[in-house]
Amino acid sequence: MGEAEALAHAILEVKERIIRCTTCNNMTDVDPCAICSDPRRDPSVICVVEEAFNIPTIEQTRDFKGMYHVLLGALSPLKGIGPQDIDVAGLVKRLSPGGVHEVIVATNPNVEGEATASYIAQQIHPLGIRITRLAFGLPVGGDLEYADQVTMSKALEGRREI
Amino acid sequence: MILSTLTAENFRNLEPEEHAFHPASNIIVGQNGQGKTNLLEAIYFLGTTKSFRTTRAASLFRFGASTLAVAGRVLRDGVERTMRVALETGEIKRRLLMINGERMPLPEYVKAFTVFAYSADRLDVVRGTPDDRRRFLDRGIASINAAYLDDLSRYHRVLRQRNALLYEIGTGGAGVRSLDAWDEGFTSAAQSVQRARDAYKNELAEAFERIVAAHHYHVSGVRFEYRPNVADLRALRKEEVRARISLAGPQRDHLDFTIEGRPAADVLSGGELKTIVLFLKFAKLELFRRRFDEAPLFVLDDIDAELDLRILQKLLAGLPASTQVFATSAKEAFLEALRAGPHRRLTLENGRVTTSTEFV
Ligand SMILES: [Zn+2]
Repeated sequence: MGEAEALAHAILEVKERIIRCTTCNNMTDVDPCAICSDPRRDPSVICVVEEAFNIPTIEQTRDFKGMYHVLLGALSPLKGIGPQDIDVAGLVKRLSPGGVHEVIVATNPNVEGEATASYIAQQIHPLGIRITRLAFGLPVGGDLEYADQVTMSKALEGRREI
Repeated sequence: MILSTLTAENFRNLEPEEHAFHPASNIIVGQNGQGKTNLLEAIYFLGTTKSFRTTRAASLFRFGASTLAVAGRVLRDGVERTMRVALETGEIKRRLLMINGERMPLPEYVKAFTVFAYSADRLDVVRGTPDDRRRFLDRGIASINAAYLDDLSRYHRVLRQRNALLYEIGTGGAGVRSLDAWDEGFTSAAQSVQRARDAYKNELAEAFERIVAAHHYHVSGVRFEYRPNVADLRALRKEEVRARISLAGPQRDHLDFTIEGRPAADVLSGGELKTIVLFLKFAKLELFRRRFDEAPLFVLDDIDAELDLRILQKLLAGLPASTQVFATSAKEAFLEALRAGPHRRLTLENGRVTTSTEFV
C-alpha cells in the first residue's frame, strides 16, 4: 500500500466509525457522545445549535457546562428546508420528561437562524421552560463559525429570554 | 479623497488604458456616443459597485465579454490604496471587491471611497418609478451609514425566504402556520429599513429646503412624502397566502415629491426638474459632509443648456476646495463653471482618451 493510499484508507476508516449521537445528534465515535455521557455536565441546560461543528465554537469559551442539541440545519424555504427537516422534534422529546430548566438557542445570527429560533420558541413555550437566545452585539458575518472566543462569551453572558 | 488613476477592462466601450486625473476638476469632452458618460459611470462603479444609469449589471459588459473589472488608485488621508471591482456574468454571477489585493465585504468596501453622481439626463428620482425613488433613498442612507447595506440585504433575504414560503403554502407544500417563524424576523428587518428611510428623508428634506432658499430659486414648496408600507401581517395573512407573495414591507414603500399635492414631475418644466434634482444631489452631499470631515467625489454627467448654469456654478463654488469633480458635456461652453481653476481636460473618442492635458 502506498502512503497516499494508506492515508485514504485511514480517513475512510475514521469516517466509517463516525456516527451521530442518538441523544444530541453530535458527531461521535461512541454513543452517547462524550458530552452527553459526561457526569460533570449540567443536564438542566440545553444549548441548541444548527450543526455539530458549532459545538467547538461554544466549547472554546469554557463558559458553558450544559448539554447540546444539534438541529442538523436551519429553516430555509428557498432550499426547501421546513420544520420537518430539522430535529426540533428530538429536542422537544428530550424536554418532555422534565428536569431541563433552560434552552439556549444558539442558531446562526442570520435570517434563517432567527426564524429557526422563533420556531423553536413557539414549540417550547407551551412547556413553560425558560428559553433564551444568544445576544450578538457585533456582526459575526451572520455565522456562528466566525465568532471568536470573546464574542461568543459575551453572546452567552448577554443571552436574552425570547 | 482623490481618485488619481482609473483603468477599466471590458467596461462598456472603454479601452483598457490607465487614466490619470486631476485632484481638483476633470473635464471630459467628446462627441455623443464616444464614451464620456461611460468613463463617469466607471468612476461611480468603482466607488459604489453600481451604475448611476442602469440597474442591469449585464449592460456594463463590453459586447461579448463575460468578465469586467474597474480598478483605481484612491488617495485618502495621505494613504494611497488600490480599489478594484470585478464582475463575472453568465451562469455563475460573481462580484469580487478588493482593496490592495485583499477581498472585502461590500459595506467595508464602499466605505473606502464615496462618490456622488448627478446626471442631467437621468431624472428617475422624480420622474421614474417608486423603485427608483426607493433606490435613491437607500443609496443616500448607505453613503452616510454603510452598515445600512447589511440591514437592507438582511431584509431582502428574509423577504425572499418569506415569498418562497408563501409560494410553498399556496401550492400546498407547507402549512399556513409555518409563516409564524418568519413574521417576527420579517417585521423587525422591515422596521430597521423603514426607520432609516424615514430619518434620512426628514434630514434630506430639511437640507434641500435650505439649499433652495439659499439660491432664491423660483420653484419652492417641493414636499417630500415618505409613506412606509406597514401592515398587520396577521390581518394580511389570508390575502398574502392567496397572492403567494408578501404584500407589505419596504419593497412597497413610497417616496413622493409633490408641489401643492401634485407630483412634481407633472408640474415642473424639464429645466426646473433638472435643477430640482441637482439641489437634491447637493442636499445628499450636504448630509455626507455633516458626518464626515472630508469631501466625496462628485461626477456630473451631461451638463446642458436646460440646467440653470448660474446655479450650478454657485453650487460648485460652495463645495469644499478639496472636492474632486468630474464633468461631461457635449458642449464645452457648459463646462465653463469648472474651467476657472486648475483642471485636466480629457477628450474621448471611441472609448479611448485621445488627449489629456493639465491646466494650472
Ligand atoms: Zn450527545
